Amino acid sequence: MNDENQKVGNGGIICPSCGNRNLLGTLFCVECGTYLPSGGPLRTEPLPGKDGAEHSRHDTRLDDDARQNAFSIEIEILKSHRKVTFPAEAEILFGRLDAAHGVFPEVDLTVEGGLESGVSRRHARIYAQQGAFHLEDLDSTNSTFHNDERLTPYVPSELHDGDILMLGSMKIRIRIYNNNAV
Amino acid sequence: MVKVSLDAAKDYYAILSLSEIAAADEIKEAYRFLVRRHHPDTGHGDVAAFRLVQEAYEVLSNPALRRAYDHQRISRGLAPDAPITCEVTMSRENLPATQIKQMLYALIDVRPNAGLSKHHQPLNLGLVIDCSTSMRGQRIRNVKIAVRDLVNSLQEGDQLALIAFNDRAKVLAPSTPVRNKRLLNSAIAQLVPGGGTEIYQGLVAGLNEVRRNASSRYLNHLILLTDGRTYGDEELSLAEARKLEEEGIGLSALGIGVDWNDLFLDALAQAGNGVSEYIRTPAQLQELLQRRIRGLSSVLLRRAFLRVKHAPYVTIQTAYRLEPYMEQLRVNSDSLIPLGDLEDKITTLLLEMTVDQPEVGTHRLARLEIEAASDEAPANAAIQIRQDMEVNFVVPERALNVEIPMRIISLLSRVSIFRLQEQAWRDLEHGDVSHATQLLKSAATRLFDLGYHELAQVAMLEVDRVLLAGSPSSEGRKKLRYGTRSLTI
Repeated sequence: MNDENQKVGNGGIICPSCGNRNLLGTLFCVECGTYLPSGGPLRTEPLPGKDGAEHSRHDTRLDDDARQNAFSIEIEILKSHRKVTFPAEAEILFGRLDAAHGVFPEVDLTVEGGLESGVSRRHARIYAQQGAFHLEDLDSTNSTFHNDERLTPYVPSELHDGDILMLGSMKIRIRIYNNNAV
Repeated sequence: MVKVSLDAAKDYYAILSLSEIAAADEIKEAYRFLVRRHHPDTGHGDVAAFRLVQEAYEVLSNPALRRAYDHQRISRGLAPDAPITCEVTMSRENLPATQIKQMLYALIDVRPNAGLSKHHQPLNLGLVIDCSTSMRGQRIRNVKIAVRDLVNSLQEGDQLALIAFNDRAKVLAPSTPVRNKRLLNSAIAQLVPGGGTEIYQGLVAGLNEVRRNASSRYLNHLILLTDGRTYGDEELSLAEARKLEEEGIGLSALGIGVDWNDLFLDALAQAGNGVSEYIRTPAQLQELLQRRIRGLSSVLLRRAFLRVKHAPYVTIQTAYRLEPYMEQLRVNSDSLIPLGDLEDKITTLLLEMTVDQPEVGTHRLARLEIEAASDEAPANAAIQIRQDMEVNFVVPERALNVEIPMRIISLLSRVSIFRLQEQAWRDLEHGDVSHATQLLKSAATRLFDLGYHELAQVAMLEVDRVLLAGSPSSEGRKKLRYGTRSLTI
């Protein structure tokens, strides 16, 4: 919407806040630290909505924290119906707590009988990147399954709302919330 | 979901006759050569070999698959462990091809392999302690506790020297094996405050002790602890610190309270490839000293540096280290960036570059080379790895839909705040009060935006102080500088 104000000759970006001219591609104004997500031919897209394909052009001024806070992920362990919610910036390790080896998973599956279900100490992890959550198997002994498909270790797989994961034989449901969704 | 045929049991590098550090163009070249040789249509082709070459190329030419493959090989003990891993994240993969200069950011995650050091490398430490009058009372009591604690936690084979200084320096314990507890404990008892603060005196005496046993067998390091300002000998001290890199000695500086010169101690620690710390209350000393020792004990690679062999249209603007705290790194004229010692953890670097390149296509912006010395490797045999930095230049209209990795945005927002306030202090030194306060206000706004309310308030208070008194408070500046530099952790 404001693109016209931010586009300037020579391809520089005029900061909407202090008027300083920054080089093309600059992410934060060197003079006042304002986030310059759009401007010139280098425009950052807002995070894609649930369908991912639709790239709406409005609201490019979202601060990075606001962007991150806009998403959260809920993990439900189906055996115990335990639910844990994480913000998008969290990296979530699944496994079994082992203080002696320095393994402190965010989701510790010991109480749900992780050992008997074949959950490794460091089994899998979830992280957000470029507005999407990704699941990665950490070369676990009994593998991670994403909607019944066995993951190749360390090859990330994108998560979607309602996906079912299986760590060994431990089932987990993923819910992804977009708090900014209209 | 992409179906991947990837078999960690097969040695794809050997199939293509490549080493584990092969660059993208080398992989392509090897593939082209082997494909021509094995192609079934040539009559003397070998279908099985041809398929293997195909499979190896498919995996190794795809950065995500190659990373996954390397991880699997290492975690299954199939690969000769790479001494260092280096991952590059670019702010944009597709750049508009244009003659206009544009900014580009790269995060570089460097991790030495934990398998590098099979045994504890002994430390050769010197501890130089400020015994000026201001150290009286709680401070010196805490220093004694912390040093005793240090003596007890050092390991068999470590060396320690203890030096006290005020207007002059006194060697309380010459460099001695830590098992010599009696000598060290009696030296600690001799820490009695009184007199002024002349850091250069203490520094020289401390270094002489460390030099006594300095060798590549040890990790040689001097730790300076002070609570005051030194006058007139700053340049001499810095000159001394700059010599240390060549001698293989590190230098860290810990400041207690609010009266010491943070800019000077930071410069000293940076020149000495060590760390600087702000100790707000004497009670923190013990923990920070222990943390420093743990850090030194986990050093895997020494005297590391990053060389950026970049294309002529690339200019490196600045380089930052983001952990253990933000620090702008020196970029030498040949794009050589000294990294100091690498501990057993990921070291994240941020490179800010400008690029102008009007030709469409995939271009290699730079080849990164990291070199370091290891105590395991034979003398002078440096460990080296390479990593390419590639981007696609596209017609400007096609560079519209750019997604910037969240991690880069998040880290850069913090670097930008740190930079605003650092610039403010420099402006103040040059008497530019109005620009300095402008920058501090901006820093405060950004801190509020990110939810760091306490630091934002410190910044606003300093704006008022600068406007009223012309200079910041010694405590406020430290809080802000050391607070913002740690935002990336």
